[in-house]
Amino acid sequence: MSAIVTTYRPADLAELRDALTESARAGQRLAVAGTGTAQWGGLVDADAVVDTTAMTGLISYNPTDMTVAVRAGTRLADLQEVLAEHRQWVALDPARATAEGGTVGGIVATADAGPSRHQFGGSRDSVIGMTVVLADGTVARSGGHVIKNVAGYDLAKLFHGCLGTLGVVAEVVLRVHPRPAATATLAVACPAREAFTLGGRLIAESLEPAAVEWTCTRPRGPGLAQRAEAAREQRDGTLLVRFDGTTNGVADRLRRARALAGEHAAEGTPEHWQKAGRLAVGAPGDTVLRLGTAPDQVAQLVMDVDRLAATHAVDAAMTSTLFAGVHTVRLRDAPAAAHAAVVESLRMAHSAATVCRWAPDLRNELAPWGDPPPAVSLLRAVKRRFDPDDRLCPGRFAPWF
Amino acid sequence: MVIFRIVEMTSRAVGTSWPAELAAVLGPDSVITDPARLRTYECDGLTGYRVVPAAVALPRSTEEVAAAVGVCARHGISFVARGAGTGLSGGALPVADGIVISLQRLRRILHVDPVNLRAVVEPGVTNLDISRAAASHGLYYAPDPSSQQVCTIGGNVAENSGGAHCLKYGFTVNHVLAAEVVLADGTVTTLGGQSQHLPGFDLLGAFVGSEGTLGIVTQVTVRLLAKPAQVRTMVADFATVAAAGDAVTAIVAAGIVPAAVEMLDNLAIQAVGASTRSVYTADTAAALVVELDGPPDDVAELFDDVQRICRDQGSTKIMVAADAEERALIWQGRKAAFAAVGRISPNYFVQDGVVPRGRLAEVLGRIAAMADEAGIRVANVFHAGDGNLHPLVLYSEADGEHDRAERLSTEIAELCVELGGSLSGEHGIGADKACSMPRMFGEDDLATMLRLREAFDPAGLCNPGKVFPTPRLCGERPGPYRPHPLETAGVIERL
Ligand SMILES: Cc1cc2nc3c(=O)[nH]c(=O)nc-3n(C[C@H](O)[C@H](O)[C@H](O)COP(=O)(O)OP(=O)(O)OC[C@H]3O[C@@H](n4cnc5c(N)ncnc54)[C@H](O)[C@@H]3O)c2cc1C
Repeated sequence: MSAIVTTYRPADLAELRDALTESARAGQRLAVAGTGTAQWGGLVDADAVVDTTAMTGLISYNPTDMTVAVRAGTRLADLQEVLAEHRQWVALDPARATAEGGTVGGIVATADAGPSRHQFGGSRDSVIGMTVVLADGTVARSGGHVIKNVAGYDLAKLFHGCLGTLGVVAEVVLRVHPRPAATATLAVACPAREAFTLGGRLIAESLEPAAVEWTCTRPRGPGLAQRAEAAREQRDGTLLVRFDGTTNGVADRLRRARALAGEHAAEGTPEHWQKAGRLAVGAPGDTVLRLGTAPDQVAQLVMDVDRLAATHAVDAAMTSTLFAGVHTVRLRDAPAAAHAAVVESLRMAHSAATVCRWAPDLRNELAPWGDPPPAVSLLRAVKRRFDPDDRLCPGRFAPWF
Repeated sequence: MVIFRIVEMTSRAVGTSWPAELAAVLGPDSVITDPARLRTYECDGLTGYRVVPAAVALPRSTEEVAAAVGVCARHGISFVARGAGTGLSGGALPVADGIVISLQRLRRILHVDPVNLRAVVEPGVTNLDISRAAASHGLYYAPDPSSQQVCTIGGNVAENSGGAHCLKYGFTVNHVLAAEVVLADGTVTTLGGQSQHLPGFDLLGAFVGSEGTLGIVTQVTVRLLAKPAQVRTMVADFATVAAAGDAVTAIVAAGIVPAAVEMLDNLAIQAVGASTRSVYTADTAAALVVELDGPPDDVAELFDDVQRICRDQGSTKIMVAADAEERALIWQGRKAAFAAVGRISPNYFVQDGVVPRGRLAEVLGRIAAMADEAGIRVANVFHAGDGNLHPLVLYSEADGEHDRAERLSTEIAELCVELGGSLSGEHGIGADKACSMPRMFGEDDLATMLRLREAFDPAGLCNPGKVFPTPRLCGERPGPYRPHPLETAGVIERL
């Protein structure tokens, strides 16, 4: 990255607009950062950075309407605290929100989400309106403050996962949901294939789980290959199923789910979820990879991860939102070249992969992205219309655009 | 006598050899040019707008759709995709000198996958047929527009259609995983994919609801849900429309998420009563249909809560459906309401504006006042739970009420914007409300949306003249921009 000489730290939409207009005049290439926790995709080559962390706070919140508008630099965790006072929440629980103070804008721009995406989808499904500032300083609003709205194109969707390359998110309107009166978790020790089958049964029995997650921390240290083999045969991995609802309803569903799950089932604890969350975030030195597959590919993916971890002597852990087909793989220990080899092979088999955290030196060993998606020419065309001079986060999607 | 609005929308250049070329790539039995047969395609469900297209193409496959679009691209001909033509905003209104590409022959269900909880279908498959195909697995497709027996999934994707049960389950956009799309240059691509995680920004999400202006859907992968274990339905009567509106607000505020909350006012109930075995109280001012579904214990408790809230809000009578048959009667009445209104009025307009749910009573009061002033009757039958109104503006073309009714109808849509809502909750902007868009969005907002359109369709051949105001449609200066009320209130800023 070239030396960043300028930092813009706007406090509101007007200042953000001015920052972008000024930087356009100066011809600066810009990086955009929230809390600066996300390193998703390629390294940005910029002259200046737009820091959104001063753009904080609620713009409007009327609990009766069940919608809330916030400035994009607001931390999701802070927002959830305010909503909790009214027994409401935004149905988004990416681990980064609590672990690292992820901002609403940052979570939208990375398309990050947590286990609740099973029931509620990702931030694309919670965002109902958005105000963005484009590279040339244009301020554009789409959507609105009502949960149902088809007027005009939904630009908020376009900014979902754009990693700052189309514009800077200034304000976000979200739909909120009531907090359930009760919530409980079923924890079942089992490998991925069984977890997928059991999860499917609980869904088919209409128990309406709010989250169906399978997590697994692989063994580490010497003798990895043999131990991974042994672990697979043992009941490694844990299926976590969360039920939300009324006190009686949740108790009844937990009881029925336990009966269906058999002897390895127990009631789960918050610690179970925290562990899965820590795994998804990783720590400095780790590589964290997010992959998308058809849901029933999970067992194959676990086998691939096992095999690759053994071959390259990497400690691999994994958490999967089973029926969303979203998997997060954390690689730990071992040199960067070994991480790179694992990621390359996984990309070959499952192209929809994003590196969310890069181990030191990994960037020297590994291209930012694998094969482009089929619609890459459309991604490029949209980028050209929104940021013709390629000033916003250049390099993020290299080599795709 | 019926007066039709002939909307002038003309393709840019009309070559000479293109009909022959179209017939050559699709086969002569897949191209209609006979003027009498073309008239079948002159309008959608918004019958006041009519344009006869130059030709209709009836492709049988993705390749044939791509070939037809390719001919259009080469000759600069505009094209309009068409599903079942039930759209209510003139989205499938043809372009004069352009072609209509009907997806009616692409109606195969390609794959039902109970393991991954999804189905892959062609765009001409009806909404209800997806649920029928999934039923043997205990699964169904959740979004349920009232037109679900006939409307196509391709049209649903284009309109981001909703339905009564979208309150709990979300809209089309929340249930589509992937779409194969023929772009305006005749190339084929896939948006979305197998998983919720896809690198790159969400082109699929932006495409859903783009009203056929970004390309033609030729294959759709939808999510399927397990049928709920328990369903309970009630009809709660209220002495005033405002009381019913307040009850909806109270149910939502209590943190209960019913599967559906629908409202019918007395005029709508009269219409329904005139046509079916009605379960609605003939002389009540308003009725709420509230349905809860889910696990039995949860449903039982919350169903009691809803009844208590309705009584607290002054409900005059609560009728609980005793069995599936009674429930079906309730829904039959609700879903037939649009058609039934045809029996109490020769003509009507439907609007579908949205207001924040805290303002239901207020907006219904104001609509009633506006209707009185205009001397026009307005029936209300709508998705109350998500604030999505469907005022039916009743008028008689023969008695010369058309213009007055149309004005009232537009004013109602714009009132919703004024109250902090939207011009449309599910029917789309289409040709109908394009000129009202500047009430809701500023010039820069619309220009930014058009950047997306240009990225997909630089030549502007794909369903032109819809969604966005044009001088041709709306006059040189499409309606002045007035600050959005949320802007005045300091809730949103425009710079
Ligand atoms: C009685 C009645 C009740 C209704 N109830 C509801 C309701 O409850 N909820 C609701 O949301 N809507 C409702 N509608 C509106 C309408 O049914 C929906 O908008 C529906 O999605 C339209 O589907 P269609 O196949 O008829 O599409 P059409 O009317 O043929 O087309 C609609 C739009 O989609 C585009 N299009 C069609 N197929 C494709 C394709 N394959 N690719 C790209 N673009 C395409 C067209 O160009 C047009 O812009 C109702 C309509 C009626 C008449």
